[in-house]
Amino acid sequence: MRSHARHASTRAPAAGLLAVLLTLAACGSHGSTGGSGGTGPLTFAVFNPFSGKDASFGPEQLAGCIPAAAAINAAGGILGHTKISCKTSDSRGDPADAVPAAEALIATTSSLVGVLGPSSDEASATVPLFNRAHIPMFGDTGQAVFNQSSFKYFYRITPPDDAVGYAMAVYAHQKGYATAAAVFGNDISSQGSLGTVVAGFKKLGGKIVLVQSIPLDLSSYRTEVSALAAAHPSVIFTEADPQTSATYFAEVKQLGHLGPFIGTDGTTQPPWLKAVGNAVGTANLKRFYVGAQPYAPTTGATYQLWLAQIKAVSHQVTQPASQWYGDSYSMAAWDSINLMALAMEAAKSTNPVVFRPWIVKVATPSPGAVVVHNFAQGKTALSHGKTIQYVGATGLISFDRWQNSPGAFSFVTSDGSTKVATYTAAQISSAK
Amino acid sequence: MTSSLFVQSIGFGLVTASILALASVGFTLQFGVSNILNLAYGDIMTACAFAGYAVNQAGGSIPESLAAGAGCGALASVLLNRYLYRPFVRHGTKLFGMVVVTLAVGIIVQNILLGAYGATFFSYNFSTGRQVHFLGMVFDTSQLMIIGLSVVAMILVQLLLTRTRLGKAMRATAANPSLAQASGIATDQVTDLAWLLSGALCGLAGVVLVLNTSAFQSTTGNDFLVIIIAAAMLGGVGRPAGAMAASVVLGVVTEVAAGFITPSFKEVIAFGVLVVVLLFRPTGIFGQGATVKEIPT
Repeated sequence: MRSHARHASTRAPAAGLLAVLLTLAACGSHGSTGGSGGTGPLTFAVFNPFSGKDASFGPEQLAGCIPAAAAINAAGGILGHTKISCKTSDSRGDPADAVPAAEALIATTSSLVGVLGPSSDEASATVPLFNRAHIPMFGDTGQAVFNQSSFKYFYRITPPDDAVGYAMAVYAHQKGYATAAAVFGNDISSQGSLGTVVAGFKKLGGKIVLVQSIPLDLSSYRTEVSALAAAHPSVIFTEADPQTSATYFAEVKQLGHLGPFIGTDGTTQPPWLKAVGNAVGTANLKRFYVGAQPYAPTTGATYQLWLAQIKAVSHQVTQPASQWYGDSYSMAAWDSINLMALAMEAAKSTNPVVFRPWIVKVATPSPGAVVVHNFAQGKTALSHGKTIQYVGATGLISFDRWQNSPGAFSFVTSDGSTKVATYTAAQISSAK
Repeated sequence: MTSSLFVQSIGFGLVTASILALASVGFTLQFGVSNILNLAYGDIMTACAFAGYAVNQAGGSIPESLAAGAGCGALASVLLNRYLYRPFVRHGTKLFGMVVVTLAVGIIVQNILLGAYGATFFSYNFSTGRQVHFLGMVFDTSQLMIIGLSVVAMILVQLLLTRTRLGKAMRATAANPSLAQASGIATDQVTDLAWLLSGALCGLAGVVLVLNTSAFQSTTGNDFLVIIIAAAMLGGVGRPAGAMAASVVLGVVTEVAAGFITPSFKEVIAFGVLVVVLLFRPTGIFGQGATVKEIPT
């Protein structure tokens, strides 16, 4: 009993101290986050999977954050804050891990002014947390539920998954494929575009001969592949995690049925291309595969600005750095940081509550607005009393009332960057 | 589902069963001898797949990669048991505590692999060989190799356990370690040898798994762990022969279910079978009476 009482008596002040520290941390994150009046560091968090099945998402976002932060620092920082940095927070691609990670990020990062993420894996669970903490976030989630969400702090400048499905249907239709099979992983992330690719392809006159939702990461899919072969599709629409896709398509090849397949934007990432390329052979992947991805121009002055900035910090991003040069998600992440930083400059505050409404304003055209393509240009224009319109590496950013800017789609080959077709949002809508 | 697809799916199920048998027999041996539910098992499989991959990338053949995987698994398992798990047991850690310890070890191994190899995917350089048609089933040469390897390994394990002094000592240690020790059996050495053998099976399973999946990463083995445990449970935990039979049941049922119903439900059907069997036979297909016991120190 005495021992127990002594433990209790020492725990009480410790618990009190912990409570005070947590309260202080929480106050720091909810108050004048980033310290609008001070000159302390400002932090952008990359809240995405860095481990687990979608571990490639985090490095992709980070590859946009690091060059943007470095360029902002080189331009003298934001409102006297001269140390802008990127912090990673691993959601592990699982809501069970993501929720405590998000809570810890919010509670312990008093300088947090913006988030890149969350991804589809954890968005439903964590968007409300960041929204409640008044942290602006640029989600790379494709979930259609965020097409018209009421979360004031949620922004998205990459297309939703359902748009990917329609774009794939349009591409297949234009290529003249009459019949198709849809092979998708049975996880939330992969299922996002299944419904729309099926509906869109049917709307355009195509016939869906088989729909397979396959469990992830099994040792074999030969029975499913045999069923696919029996259905004789002229093209396969697909998304699953890299290992699942590699196993599946390796078995399609082994059974002698490899033909054209069109992947979602989830398939255009280097790990997927590497895994499936190894499984079916790079020559086969080059011959039969195209993948949809949000359109981002890989020529022009803005692209050159992005390219120069990421090359300047190439040693700090996941290697090889060249994999990110034409990556539209990394470019979107770069744009997102620039938008938030310029919004702070325009609002003359680093407090998210104050600068949040300016995120849309700095991207919106207005009479007399100076078109700018990076943070330094925007900061200079604002300092001269001009209004600005940010047009980024991903092109024109046009937010709708739900703070989504869906943009266009391109289809790329197995190198992840060679474009074979590009469709505007209007063209894609023909499949809806 | 056509009759030809039904027959084919049985063949595909046998390939899955072969991989599962290698893994689940190793898993159940560890539990049988030590009463430790080793949740790091899947991650050791992955580590050994990487060991085999290193040999393969250095120009080694697939048999050499398999040998490297088996060696990796044997060594890692013995060291893990002797220098980590056993000290915990000697300090009085009970069944549930050991489950948490093994889970932690698995996470550590997984993250070491992630740190060492990155979040990307790897594939062995090998040819799957030509297709072989047999009784309406279709295999490629590499799958026949996997089936053959598994059959040989299972026969050897069964012979070892039933026909040798070591096997009898293992079974005696599994049944009652105190009595086995009192009867003059060096239970520590027997346990080491059991972990050596089960670890070799674990390593072999890791390599054949990633040969069949064509691509793997730091989480691949762990993804397979649930079905390994299911096979061990279905066969009667600690019963290698049961694990073999259960692997065939689960392997074939999952593939036939994928063809008959929908691929989404292939695991649901497999685990449904597990639940139904355990409902009527709680100790599994080959289980004999209640086997709950504390971890032997």
